Amino acid sequence: MGLSPAVEIHDLEKSFRSGWPRRRVQPALRGVTFSVPRGVIFAILGPNGAGKTTLLSILATLLLPDRGSARVLGHDVVREPHRVRERVNMSSGNANFLWSLTPREILDIFARLAGVTGRVRRVRVEALLDLLELRGHAEVPYSELSTGLKQRLALAKALVNEPELLILDEPTVGLDPDVSVRIRAQIAALRRERGTTILLSTHYMREAEELADEIVFLRDGRILARGDADSLKRRIKVGDAVSLVLADPAAWERLRALPGVLACASRDGRVECVVDDARKRLPDLLRHLHEAGVEVHDLRVTEPDLEAVFLELAR
Amino acid sequence: MTGTAAREWTKVSAFIRKNWLMARRNIFTVFEVVFWPTVGVLSVGLLTRFLDLTPETTAFILIGTLALSIIQVCQLDVAYAILFEMWAKGIKHQFLAPIGLWHLALGSWLMGILRGLAVFALLAGLGWWGFGFDFFHPGPAALVAFLLGLFLNAVIIGLGVCTLLLLFGLRAEVSAWSAVSLILLLAGIYYPVSLLPPPVAAVAAAIPLTYFLDAFRAHYGFAPVFEAALLKGFATSLVYLALTYGALGAALTHARRRGTLLRLSE
Repeated sequence: MGLSPAVEIHDLEKSFRSGWPRRRVQPALRGVTFSVPRGVIFAILGPNGAGKTTLLSILATLLLPDRGSARVLGHDVVREPHRVRERVNMSSGNANFLWSLTPREILDIFARLAGVTGRVRRVRVEALLDLLELRGHAEVPYSELSTGLKQRLALAKALVNEPELLILDEPTVGLDPDVSVRIRAQIAALRRERGTTILLSTHYMREAEELADEIVFLRDGRILARGDADSLKRRIKVGDAVSLVLADPAAWERLRALPGVLACASRDGRVECVVDDARKRLPDLLRHLHEAGVEVHDLRVTEPDLEAVFLELAR
Repeated sequence: MTGTAAREWTKVSAFIRKNWLMARRNIFTVFEVVFWPTVGVLSVGLLTRFLDLTPETTAFILIGTLALSIIQVCQLDVAYAILFEMWAKGIKHQFLAPIGLWHLALGSWLMGILRGLAVFALLAGLGWWGFGFDFFHPGPAALVAFLLGLFLNAVIIGLGVCTLLLLFGLRAEVSAWSAVSLILLLAGIYYPVSLLPPPVAAVAAAIPLTYFLDAFRAHYGFAPVFEAALLKGFATSLVYLALTYGALGAALTHARRRGTLLRLSE
Protein backbone atom coordinates (compact mmCIF):
# COMPACT_ATOMS: atom_id res chain seq x y z
CA MET A 1 0.00 0.00 0.00
CA GLY A 2 1.37 3.42 -0.95
CA LEU A 3 1.97 6.22 1.51
CA SER A 4 -0.93 8.56 2.10
CA PRO A 5 -0.49 12.14 0.90
CA ALA A 6 1.14 14.54 3.33
CA VAL A 7 -2.05 16.58 3.46
CA GLU A 8 -5.59 15.78 2.35
CA ILE A 9 -8.21 18.46 2.84
CA HIS A 10 -11.82 18.09 1.82
CA ASP A 11 -14.46 20.82 1.88
CA LEU A 12 -12.86 22.55 4.87
CA GLU A 13 -14.84 25.39 6.43
CA LYS A 14 -14.05 27.68 9.34
CA SER A 15 -15.71 30.84 10.63
CA PHE A 16 -14.81 33.04 13.56
CA ARG A 17 -17.47 34.42 15.85
CA SER A 18 -17.04 37.57 17.86
CA GLY A 19 -19.03 40.30 19.60
CA TRP A 20 -21.68 40.22 22.26
CA PRO A 21 -24.67 40.37 22.44
CA ARG A 22 -24.74 40.69 18.65
CA ARG A 23 -22.63 37.92 17.20
CA ARG A 24 -20.59 38.67 14.13
CA VAL A 25 -19.61 35.71 11.99
CA GLN A 26 -16.52 36.09 9.85
CA PRO A 27 -16.00 33.22 7.39
CA ALA A 28 -12.31 32.38 7.01
CA LEU A 29 -12.41 29.20 4.91
CA ARG A 30 -15.26 28.29 2.57
CA GLY A 31 -15.02 24.74 1.32
CA VAL A 32 -11.30 24.34 0.67
CA THR A 33 -10.26 21.06 -0.95
CA PHE A 34 -6.78 19.97 -2.02
CA SER A 35 -4.08 17.45 -1.31
CA VAL A 36 -0.32 17.73 -1.03
CA PRO A 37 1.95 14.83 -2.00
CA ARG A 38 4.86 13.95 0.24
CA GLY A 39 8.27 15.49 -0.26
CA VAL A 40 7.18 18.68 -2.03
CA ILE A 41 7.23 22.33 -1.13
CA PHE A 42 3.69 23.57 -1.42
CA ALA A 43 2.98 27.29 -1.23
CA ILE A 44 -0.24 29.00 -0.25
CA LEU A 45 -0.50 32.52 -1.61
CA GLY A 46 -3.14 35.08 -0.93
CA PRO A 47 -3.80 38.61 0.27
CA ASN A 48 -4.30 39.47 3.94
CA GLY A 49 -7.42 37.82 5.31
CA ALA A 50 -7.43 35.17 2.59
CA GLY A 51 -7.47 32.37 5.19
CA LYS A 52 -3.85 31.20 4.87
CA THR A 53 -3.03 31.22 8.58
CA THR A 54 -6.40 29.69 9.45
CA LEU A 55 -5.76 26.84 7.04
CA LEU A 56 -2.24 26.19 8.32
CA SER A 57 -3.38 26.42 11.93
CA ILE A 58 -6.04 23.77 11.36
CA LEU A 59 -3.41 21.47 9.86
CA ALA A 60 -1.15 22.13 12.86
CA THR A 61 -4.10 21.28 15.21
CA LEU A 62 -4.16 24.76 16.74
CA LEU A 63 -7.66 25.34 15.38
CA LEU A 64 -10.66 23.10 14.98
CA PRO A 65 -12.54 23.27 11.67
CA ASP A 66 -16.31 23.82 11.60
CA ARG A 67 -16.91 21.43 8.72
CA GLY A 68 -15.07 19.19 6.32
CA SER A 69 -12.07 16.99 6.95
CA ALA A 70 -8.32 17.38 7.09
CA ARG A 71 -5.83 14.56 7.29
CA VAL A 72 -2.14 15.06 7.86
CA LEU A 73 0.21 12.16 7.09
CA GLY A 74 -2.84 9.90 7.24
CA HIS A 75 -4.11 11.18 10.61
CA ASP A 76 -7.32 13.12 11.10
CA VAL A 77 -6.50 16.49 12.68
CA VAL A 78 -9.65 16.45 14.83
CA ARG A 79 -9.70 12.81 15.95
CA GLU A 80 -5.96 12.15 16.18
CA PRO A 81 -4.36 15.52 16.97
CA HIS A 82 -1.67 13.98 19.17
CA ARG A 83 -0.46 11.75 16.31
CA VAL A 84 -0.36 14.77 14.03
CA ARG A 85 1.63 16.85 16.54
CA GLU A 86 4.22 14.07 16.87
CA ARG A 87 5.03 14.26 13.16
CA VAL A 88 4.39 17.90 12.30
CA ASN A 89 5.79 21.21 13.44
CA MET A 90 5.11 24.82 12.62
CA SER A 91 7.03 28.05 12.51
CA SER A 92 5.53 31.44 11.96
CA GLY A 93 7.04 34.75 11.01
CA ASN A 94 5.79 36.48 14.12
CA ALA A 95 6.88 33.79 16.57
CA ASN A 96 7.47 34.74 20.19
CA PHE A 97 9.20 32.86 22.97
CA LEU A 98 9.85 33.47 26.67
CA TRP A 99 11.78 36.68 26.89
CA SER A 100 14.48 35.73 29.36
CA LEU A 101 15.38 32.31 27.95
CA THR A 102 18.29 31.83 25.57
CA PRO A 103 18.04 30.07 22.19
CA ARG A 104 19.76 26.99 23.62
CA GLU A 105 17.28 26.85 26.52
CA ILE A 106 14.29 27.43 24.25
CA LEU A 107 15.35 24.64 21.89
CA ASP A 108 16.03 22.36 24.85
CA ILE A 109 12.56 22.98 26.30
CA PHE A 110 10.78 22.40 23.00
CA ALA A 111 12.84 19.26 22.39
CA ARG A 112 11.73 18.06 25.82
CA LEU A 113 8.11 18.85 24.96
CA ALA A 114 8.56 16.72 21.84
CA GLY A 115 9.76 13.87 24.07
CA VAL A 116 13.37 13.89 22.83
CA THR A 117 15.38 12.34 25.63
CA GLY A 118 18.87 12.63 27.12
CA ARG A 119 21.91 12.73 24.88
CA VAL A 120 19.88 12.68 21.66
CA ARG A 121 18.27 15.94 22.77
CA ARG A 122 21.55 17.62 23.61
CA VAL A 123 23.10 16.59 20.29
CA ARG A 124 20.03 17.73 18.36
CA VAL A 125 19.88 21.11 20.05
CA GLU A 126 23.56 21.75 19.28
CA ALA A 127 23.07 20.61 15.68
CA LEU A 128 20.14 23.00 15.24
CA LEU A 129 22.17 25.88 16.68
CA ASP A 130 24.75 25.15 13.98
CA LEU A 131 22.25 24.55 11.18
CA LEU A 132 20.45 27.84 11.72
CA GLU A 133 23.70 29.70 12.50
CA LEU A 134 22.63 30.54 16.04
CA ARG A 135 25.67 29.29 17.91
CA GLY A 136 27.16 32.73 18.37
CA HIS A 137 23.92 33.84 20.04
CA ALA A 138 23.11 30.65 21.94
CA GLU A 139 23.44 32.34 25.34
CA VAL A 140 21.73 35.65 24.52
CA PRO A 141 18.27 36.20 26.09
CA TYR A 142 15.48 36.01 23.51
CA SER A 143 14.42 39.60 24.16
CA GLU A 144 17.85 40.80 22.98
CA LEU A 145 17.88 38.89 19.66
CA SER A 146 17.40 40.67 16.33
CA THR A 147 14.30 39.93 14.23
CA GLY A 148 16.33 37.76 11.87
CA LEU A 149 17.76 35.70 14.71
CA LYS A 150 14.29 35.29 16.25
CA GLN A 151 13.03 34.04 12.91
CA ARG A 152 15.88 31.57 12.61
CA LEU A 153 15.23 30.40 16.15
CA ALA A 154 11.55 29.87 15.27
CA LEU A 155 12.63 27.71 12.34
CA ALA A 156 15.07 25.79 14.55
CA LYS A 157 12.31 25.23 17.10
CA ALA A 158 10.12 23.81 14.35
CA LEU A 159 12.79 21.20 13.60
CA VAL A 160 13.29 19.84 17.13
CA ASN A 161 11.04 16.83 16.50
CA GLU A 162 12.43 16.25 12.99
CA PRO A 163 8.97 16.73 11.46
CA GLU A 164 7.86 14.92 8.33
CA LEU A 165 5.64 17.91 7.54
CA LEU A 166 6.91 21.39 8.27
CA ILE A 167 4.38 24.21 8.23
CA LEU A 168 5.85 27.66 7.67
CA ASP A 169 3.56 30.64 8.04
CA GLU A 170 5.22 33.69 6.46
CA PRO A 171 8.73 32.53 7.45
CA THR A 172 10.55 35.55 6.02
CA VAL A 173 8.09 38.32 6.82
CA GLY A 174 9.81 41.52 7.94
CA LEU A 175 13.34 40.25 7.31
CA ASP A 176 16.19 41.94 5.50
CA PRO A 177 16.72 40.54 1.98
CA ASP A 178 20.02 38.84 2.84
CA VAL A 179 18.48 37.05 5.84
CA SER A 180 15.46 36.04 3.72
CA VAL A 181 17.77 34.52 1.12
CA ARG A 182 19.53 32.45 3.80
CA ILE A 183 16.28 31.23 5.31
CA ARG A 184 14.98 30.27 1.85
CA ALA A 185 18.17 28.35 1.22
CA GLN A 186 17.69 26.51 4.50
CA ILE A 187 14.09 25.67 3.62
CA ALA A 188 15.13 24.32 0.23
CA ALA A 189 17.89 22.28 1.87
CA LEU A 190 15.42 20.72 4.30
CA ARG A 191 13.39 19.31 1.45
CA ARG A 192 16.45 18.31 -0.54
CA GLU A 193 18.44 16.68 2.25
CA ARG A 194 15.73 15.36 4.58
CA GLY A 195 12.79 14.89 2.23
CA THR A 196 10.64 17.04 4.52
CA THR A 197 7.28 18.05 3.06
CA ILE A 198 6.94 21.80 3.46
CA LEU A 199 3.72 23.76 3.48
CA LEU A 200 4.45 27.42 3.14
CA SER A 201 2.34 30.53 3.24
CA THR A 202 3.84 33.72 1.96
CA HIS A 203 3.15 37.16 0.61
CA TYR A 204 6.31 37.10 -1.44
CA MET A 205 5.84 35.94 -4.99
CA ARG A 206 9.53 35.44 -5.53
CA GLU A 207 9.67 33.16 -2.51
CA ALA A 208 6.86 30.98 -3.86
CA GLU A 209 8.29 31.00 -7.36
CA GLU A 210 11.76 30.11 -6.12
CA LEU A 211 10.82 27.42 -3.62
CA ALA A 212 7.48 25.86 -4.40
CA ASP A 213 6.74 22.86 -6.57
CA GLU A 214 3.10 23.73 -6.41
CA ILE A 215 1.07 26.80 -5.48
CA VAL A 216 -2.52 27.50 -4.49
CA PHE A 217 -4.02 30.97 -4.55
CA LEU A 218 -6.45 31.60 -1.75
CA ARG A 219 -8.82 34.54 -1.56
CA ASP A 220 -11.74 35.08 0.80
CA GLY A 221 -11.34 31.52 2.03
CA ARG A 222 -11.60 29.94 -1.43
CA ILE A 223 -9.02 28.45 -3.74
CA LEU A 224 -8.86 30.47 -6.93
CA ALA A 225 -6.13 28.60 -8.75
CA ARG A 226 -3.64 25.80 -8.29
CA GLY A 227 -0.59 24.63 -10.17
CA ASP A 228 3.13 25.19 -10.58
CA ALA A 229 4.35 28.71 -11.23
CA ASP A 230 4.67 28.28 -15.00
CA SER A 231 1.31 26.64 -15.51
CA LEU A 232 -0.37 29.32 -13.41
CA LYS A 233 1.19 32.06 -15.49
CA ARG A 234 -0.03 30.38 -18.64
CA ARG A 235 -3.47 29.63 -17.30
CA ILE A 236 -4.23 33.04 -15.87
CA LYS A 237 -3.18 34.65 -19.14
CA VAL A 238 -1.96 37.91 -17.80
CA GLY A 239 0.08 38.12 -21.00
CA ASP A 240 3.71 38.73 -21.96
CA ALA A 241 5.10 42.24 -22.18
CA VAL A 242 6.78 43.25 -25.47
CA SER A 243 8.72 46.49 -25.31
CA LEU A 244 9.99 48.08 -28.54
CA VAL A 245 11.87 51.16 -29.68
CA LEU A 246 10.69 52.05 -33.19
CA ALA A 247 12.21 54.40 -35.75
CA ASP A 248 8.71 55.76 -36.32
CA PRO A 249 7.13 56.13 -32.89
CA ALA A 250 3.69 56.74 -34.36
CA ALA A 251 3.66 53.24 -35.88
CA TRP A 252 2.55 51.70 -32.57
CA GLU A 253 -1.10 52.53 -33.30
CA ARG A 254 -1.08 49.91 -36.07
CA LEU A 255 0.03 47.18 -33.69
CA ARG A 256 -3.13 47.41 -31.60
CA ALA A 257 -5.21 45.82 -34.32
CA LEU A 258 -3.01 42.72 -34.70
CA PRO A 259 -4.39 39.38 -33.45
CA GLY A 260 -3.26 38.43 -29.92
CA VAL A 261 -2.29 41.97 -28.95
CA LEU A 262 -4.18 42.71 -25.73
CA ALA A 263 -3.00 46.28 -25.21
CA CYS A 264 -0.52 48.76 -26.62
CA ALA A 265 0.73 52.17 -25.51
CA SER A 266 3.63 54.51 -26.12
CA ARG A 267 5.62 55.69 -23.10
CA ASP A 268 8.87 57.66 -22.94
CA GLY A 269 9.85 56.73 -26.47
CA ARG A 270 9.11 53.03 -26.03
CA VAL A 271 6.15 51.10 -27.30
CA GLU A 272 4.79 48.78 -24.63
CA CYS A 273 2.49 46.02 -25.83
CA VAL A 274 0.91 43.13 -23.95
CA VAL A 275 0.38 40.01 -26.04
CA ASP A 276 -1.31 36.77 -25.06
CA ASP A 277 1.76 34.68 -25.95
CA ALA A 278 5.02 36.31 -27.02
CA ARG A 279 6.43 33.17 -28.64
CA LYS A 280 3.36 32.93 -30.89
CA ARG A 281 2.77 36.61 -31.66
CA LEU A 282 6.24 38.08 -31.94
CA PRO A 283 7.00 36.80 -35.51
CA ASP A 284 3.71 38.31 -36.81
CA LEU A 285 4.36 41.55 -35.00
CA LEU A 286 7.89 41.92 -36.41
CA ARG A 287 6.75 40.88 -39.89
CA HIS A 288 4.05 43.51 -39.79
CA LEU A 289 6.53 46.23 -38.80
CA HIS A 290 9.02 45.05 -41.45
CA GLU A 291 6.37 45.14 -44.19
CA ALA A 292 5.36 48.64 -43.08
CA GLY A 293 9.01 49.70 -43.32
CA VAL A 294 9.30 50.53 -39.65
CA GLU A 295 12.75 49.87 -38.26
CA VAL A 296 12.99 48.24 -34.83
CA HIS A 297 15.88 49.64 -32.77
CA ASP A 298 15.32 47.65 -29.59
CA LEU A 299 13.16 44.76 -28.47
CA ARG A 300 12.59 43.24 -25.05
CA VAL A 301 10.19 40.48 -24.04
CA THR A 302 9.23 39.94 -20.42
CA GLU A 303 7.24 36.95 -19.20
CA PRO A 304 4.75 37.73 -16.44
CA ASP A 305 5.94 36.97 -12.93
CA LEU A 306 3.84 35.39 -10.26
CA GLU A 307 3.11 38.82 -8.86
CA ALA A 308 1.15 39.66 -12.01
CA VAL A 309 -0.78 36.41 -11.65
CA PHE A 310 -1.44 37.20 -8.03
CA LEU A 311 -2.65 40.72 -8.81
CA GLU A 312 -4.88 39.37 -11.55
CA LEU A 313 -6.40 36.78 -9.21
CA ALA A 314 -6.74 39.15 -6.30
CA ARG A 315 -8.59 41.69 -8.48
CA MET B 1 13.18 3.78 32.71
CA THR B 2 11.61 2.36 29.54
CA GLY B 3 11.64 4.36 26.32
CA THR B 4 8.01 5.43 26.63
CA ALA B 5 8.32 6.30 30.32
CA ALA B 6 11.49 8.28 29.59
CA ARG B 7 9.76 10.24 26.82
CA GLU B 8 6.77 11.01 29.02
CA TRP B 9 8.98 12.11 31.90
CA THR B 10 10.99 14.29 29.50
CA LYS B 11 7.80 16.11 28.51
CA VAL B 12 6.95 16.65 32.19
CA SER B 13 10.51 17.88 32.81
CA ALA B 14 10.04 20.58 30.13
CA PHE B 15 7.60 22.39 32.43
CA ILE B 16 9.83 21.96 35.48
CA ARG B 17 12.81 23.32 33.58
CA LYS B 18 10.89 26.22 32.07
CA ASN B 19 9.47 27.36 35.40
CA TRP B 20 12.85 26.85 37.07
CA LEU B 21 14.70 28.98 34.51
CA MET B 22 12.04 31.68 34.60
CA ALA B 23 12.02 31.68 38.40
CA ARG B 24 15.81 32.03 38.51
CA ARG B 25 15.72 35.15 36.36
CA ASN B 26 12.59 36.75 37.75
CA ILE B 27 12.87 39.23 40.60
CA PHE B 28 9.29 38.33 41.58
CA THR B 29 10.57 34.95 42.74
CA VAL B 30 12.24 36.69 45.68
CA PHE B 31 8.95 38.35 46.54
CA GLU B 32 6.88 35.20 46.07
CA VAL B 33 9.14 32.81 47.97
CA VAL B 34 10.76 35.09 50.56
CA PHE B 35 9.31 38.57 50.92
CA TRP B 36 5.56 38.10 51.06
CA PRO B 37 5.61 34.87 53.15
CA THR B 38 8.05 36.50 55.59
CA VAL B 39 5.97 39.65 55.87
CA GLY B 40 2.87 37.50 56.30
CA VAL B 41 4.16 35.31 59.10
CA LEU B 42 5.94 38.15 60.94
CA SER B 43 3.02 40.58 60.82
CA VAL B 44 0.49 37.94 61.83
CA GLY B 45 2.81 36.57 64.52
CA LEU B 46 3.42 40.03 65.96
CA LEU B 47 -0.31 40.72 65.89
CA THR B 48 -0.89 37.62 68.00
CA ARG B 49 1.68 38.97 70.49
CA PHE B 50 -0.02 42.37 70.59
CA LEU B 51 -3.42 40.79 71.15
CA ASP B 52 -1.84 38.58 73.82
CA LEU B 53 -3.34 35.44 72.33
CA THR B 54 -2.84 32.04 73.91
CA PRO B 55 -0.21 29.73 72.35
CA GLU B 56 -3.05 27.56 70.97
CA THR B 57 -4.75 30.50 69.24
CA THR B 58 -1.40 31.69 67.94
CA ALA B 59 -0.81 28.21 66.52
CA PHE B 60 -4.26 28.29 64.92
CA ILE B 61 -3.50 31.54 63.12
CA LEU B 62 0.10 30.73 62.15
CA ILE B 63 -1.01 27.44 60.60
CA GLY B 64 -3.46 29.45 58.49
CA THR B 65 -0.72 31.88 57.44
CA LEU B 66 1.59 29.02 56.50
CA ALA B 67 -1.15 27.32 54.49
CA LEU B 68 -2.00 30.49 52.63
CA SER B 69 1.63 31.22 51.68
CA ILE B 70 2.35 27.68 50.51
CA ILE B 71 -0.82 27.39 48.44
CA GLN B 72 -0.27 30.77 46.85
CA VAL B 73 3.29 30.09 45.72
CA CYS B 74 2.53 26.56 44.51
CA GLN B 75 -0.62 27.45 42.57
CA LEU B 76 1.21 30.33 40.89
CA ASP B 77 3.65 27.85 39.37
CA VAL B 78 0.77 25.88 37.87
CA ALA B 79 -0.78 29.09 36.54
CA TYR B 80 2.62 30.17 35.16
CA ALA B 81 2.54 27.19 32.78
CA ILE B 82 0.00 29.25 30.82
CA LEU B 83 0.65 32.78 32.08
CA PHE B 84 4.31 33.03 31.03
CA GLU B 85 3.43 31.91 27.52
CA MET B 86 0.55 34.38 27.35
CA TRP B 87 2.76 37.23 28.49
CA ALA B 88 5.35 36.20 25.88
CA LYS B 89 2.60 35.90 23.22
CA GLY B 90 3.87 32.45 22.33
CA ILE B 91 1.29 30.11 23.79
CA LYS B 92 0.51 28.41 20.49
CA HIS B 93 3.97 26.82 20.37
CA GLN B 94 3.38 25.02 23.65
CA PHE B 95 0.16 23.49 22.34
CA LEU B 96 1.72 22.54 19.00
CA ALA B 97 3.86 20.06 20.91
CA PRO B 98 2.67 16.45 21.35
CA ILE B 99 1.87 16.86 25.04
CA GLY B 100 -1.12 16.04 27.18
CA LEU B 101 -2.47 18.43 29.77
CA TRP B 102 -1.20 16.09 32.45
CA HIS B 103 2.40 16.83 31.41
CA LEU B 104 1.70 20.53 31.91
CA ALA B 105 -0.14 20.04 35.19
CA LEU B 106 2.33 17.59 36.72
CA GLY B 107 5.50 19.41 35.62
CA SER B 108 4.43 22.84 36.79
CA TRP B 109 2.95 21.36 39.99
CA LEU B 110 6.24 19.62 40.86
CA MET B 111 8.06 22.93 40.48
CA GLY B 112 5.34 24.50 42.65
CA ILE B 113 5.92 21.85 45.30
CA LEU B 114 9.63 22.65 45.26
CA ARG B 115 8.95 26.35 45.79
CA GLY B 116 6.23 25.53 48.33
CA LEU B 117 8.70 23.44 50.34
CA ALA B 118 11.15 26.35 50.29
CA VAL B 119 8.40 28.59 51.70
CA PHE B 120 7.58 25.97 54.33
CA ALA B 121 11.23 25.74 55.40
CA LEU B 122 11.45 29.53 55.67
CA LEU B 123 8.21 29.95 57.61
CA ALA B 124 8.90 26.98 59.89
CA GLY B 125 12.24 28.58 60.76
CA LEU B 126 10.70 32.02 61.30
CA GLY B 127 7.85 30.57 63.36
CA TRP B 128 10.31 28.76 65.60
CA TRP B 129 12.71 31.68 65.88
CA GLY B 130 10.16 34.48 66.26
CA PHE B 131 7.30 32.89 68.12
CA GLY B 132 8.55 29.57 69.45
CA PHE B 133 6.07 27.76 67.25
CA ASP B 134 6.90 24.19 66.21
CA PHE B 135 5.38 23.16 62.88
CA PHE B 136 6.90 19.69 63.34
CA HIS B 137 5.05 19.04 66.58
CA PRO B 138 2.29 16.86 65.00
CA GLY B 139 4.93 14.43 63.70
CA PRO B 140 6.13 13.58 60.19
CA ALA B 141 3.04 11.66 59.01
CA ALA B 142 0.61 14.43 59.97
CA LEU B 143 2.90 17.08 58.52
CA VAL B 144 3.33 15.23 55.22
CA ALA B 145 -0.44 14.70 54.97
CA PHE B 146 -1.02 18.41 55.68
CA LEU B 147 1.54 19.57 53.12
CA LEU B 148 0.23 17.13 50.52
CA GLY B 149 -3.25 18.51 51.16
CA LEU B 150 -1.99 22.05 50.64
CA PHE B 151 -0.26 21.08 47.42
CA LEU B 152 -3.40 19.35 46.16
CA ASN B 153 -5.42 22.50 46.88
CA ALA B 154 -2.77 24.50 45.05
CA VAL B 155 -2.91 22.39 41.89
CA ILE B 156 -6.72 22.57 41.91
CA ILE B 157 -6.64 26.37 42.14
CA GLY B 158 -3.82 26.57 39.57
CA LEU B 159 -5.71 24.45 37.06
CA GLY B 160 -8.80 26.59 37.69
CA VAL B 161 -6.77 29.72 36.92
CA CYS B 162 -5.38 28.08 33.75
CA THR B 163 -8.95 27.28 32.68
CA LEU B 164 -10.01 30.90 33.14
CA LEU B 165 -6.94 32.10 31.23
CA LEU B 166 -7.75 29.88 28.25
CA LEU B 167 -11.36 31.01 28.31
CA PHE B 168 -10.90 34.73 28.86
CA GLY B 169 -7.26 35.40 27.99
CA LEU B 170 -5.26 37.94 29.96
CA ARG B 171 -8.47 39.50 31.29
CA ALA B 172 -8.43 36.56 33.72
CA GLU B 173 -4.83 36.98 34.90
CA VAL B 174 -5.97 38.70 38.08
CA SER B 175 -7.44 35.34 39.14
CA ALA B 176 -3.89 34.01 39.59
CA TRP B 177 -3.49 36.33 42.58
CA SER B 178 -7.07 36.61 43.80
CA ALA B 179 -8.38 33.03 43.71
CA VAL B 180 -6.50 32.19 46.90
CA SER B 181 -8.11 35.13 48.70
CA LEU B 182 -11.54 33.63 48.15
CA ILE B 183 -10.33 30.37 49.66
CA LEU B 184 -8.88 32.40 52.55
CA LEU B 185 -12.31 33.81 53.28
CA LEU B 186 -14.18 30.53 53.05
CA ALA B 187 -11.83 27.82 54.33
CA GLY B 188 -11.20 29.35 57.75
CA ILE B 189 -7.59 30.42 57.40
CA TYR B 190 -7.75 32.71 60.45
CA TYR B 191 -10.91 31.52 62.19
CA PRO B 192 -12.88 28.31 62.71
CA VAL B 193 -15.47 27.69 60.00
CA SER B 194 -18.03 27.21 62.78
CA LEU B 195 -18.06 31.03 62.99
CA LEU B 196 -19.41 31.33 59.49
CA PRO B 197 -23.15 31.72 58.84
CA PRO B 198 -24.68 28.29 58.06
CA PRO B 199 -24.98 28.73 54.25
CA VAL B 200 -21.37 29.94 54.03
CA ALA B 201 -20.23 27.17 56.37
CA ALA B 202 -21.80 24.70 53.94
CA VAL B 203 -19.67 26.20 51.17
CA ALA B 204 -16.60 25.96 53.44
CA ALA B 205 -17.35 22.27 53.96
CA ALA B 206 -17.09 21.81 50.21
CA ILE B 207 -13.51 23.17 50.16
CA PRO B 208 -10.81 20.53 50.72
CA LEU B 209 -8.49 22.98 52.50
CA THR B 210 -11.05 23.32 55.32
CA TYR B 211 -10.51 19.64 56.21
CA PHE B 212 -6.73 19.74 56.02
CA LEU B 213 -6.59 22.78 58.32
CA ASP B 214 -9.03 21.11 60.71
CA ALA B 215 -6.99 17.90 60.83
CA PHE B 216 -3.65 19.66 61.37
CA ARG B 217 -4.96 22.06 63.99
CA ALA B 218 -6.36 19.11 65.96
CA HIS B 219 -2.71 18.23 66.76
CA TYR B 220 -2.41 21.60 68.54
CA GLY B 221 -5.35 21.03 70.86
CA PHE B 222 -8.28 22.27 68.83
CA ALA B 223 -11.28 19.99 68.82
CA PRO B 224 -11.85 18.87 65.24
CA VAL B 225 -15.01 20.22 63.61
CA PHE B 226 -15.20 17.36 61.11
CA GLU B 227 -14.96 13.63 61.53
CA ALA B 228 -12.37 11.84 59.40
CA ALA B 229 -11.21 15.24 58.20
CA LEU B 230 -8.13 13.96 56.33
CA LEU B 231 -10.13 11.34 54.48
CA LYS B 232 -12.72 13.94 53.47
CA GLY B 233 -9.95 16.35 52.50
CA PHE B 234 -8.28 13.89 50.15
CA ALA B 235 -11.59 12.63 48.77
CA THR B 236 -12.88 16.12 47.94
CA SER B 237 -9.44 17.07 46.57
CA LEU B 238 -9.53 14.17 44.13
CA VAL B 239 -13.03 15.14 43.02
CA TYR B 240 -12.01 18.77 42.44
CA LEU B 241 -8.80 17.71 40.75
CA ALA B 242 -10.78 15.61 38.28
CA LEU B 243 -13.27 18.44 37.75
CA THR B 244 -10.68 21.17 37.19
CA TYR B 245 -8.58 18.90 34.95
CA GLY B 246 -11.70 18.17 32.88
CA ALA B 247 -12.57 21.87 32.80
CA LEU B 248 -9.07 22.73 31.58
CA GLY B 249 -9.38 20.16 28.80
CA ALA B 250 -12.74 21.62 27.79
CA ALA B 251 -11.31 25.15 27.89
CA LEU B 252 -8.44 24.09 25.62
CA THR B 253 -10.90 22.59 23.14
CA HIS B 254 -12.92 25.81 23.32
CA ALA B 255 -9.74 27.82 22.70
CA ARG B 256 -8.92 25.68 19.65
CA ARG B 257 -12.44 26.21 18.36
CA ARG B 258 -12.51 29.99 18.92
CA GLY B 259 -8.97 30.68 17.75
CA THR B 260 -7.93 31.93 21.21
CA LEU B 261 -4.51 30.26 20.99
CA LEU B 262 -3.78 32.20 17.80
CA ARG B 263 -5.10 35.50 19.14
CA LEU B 264 -3.03 35.16 22.29
CA SER B 265 0.08 34.53 20.18
CA GLU B 266 -0.16 37.73 18.13
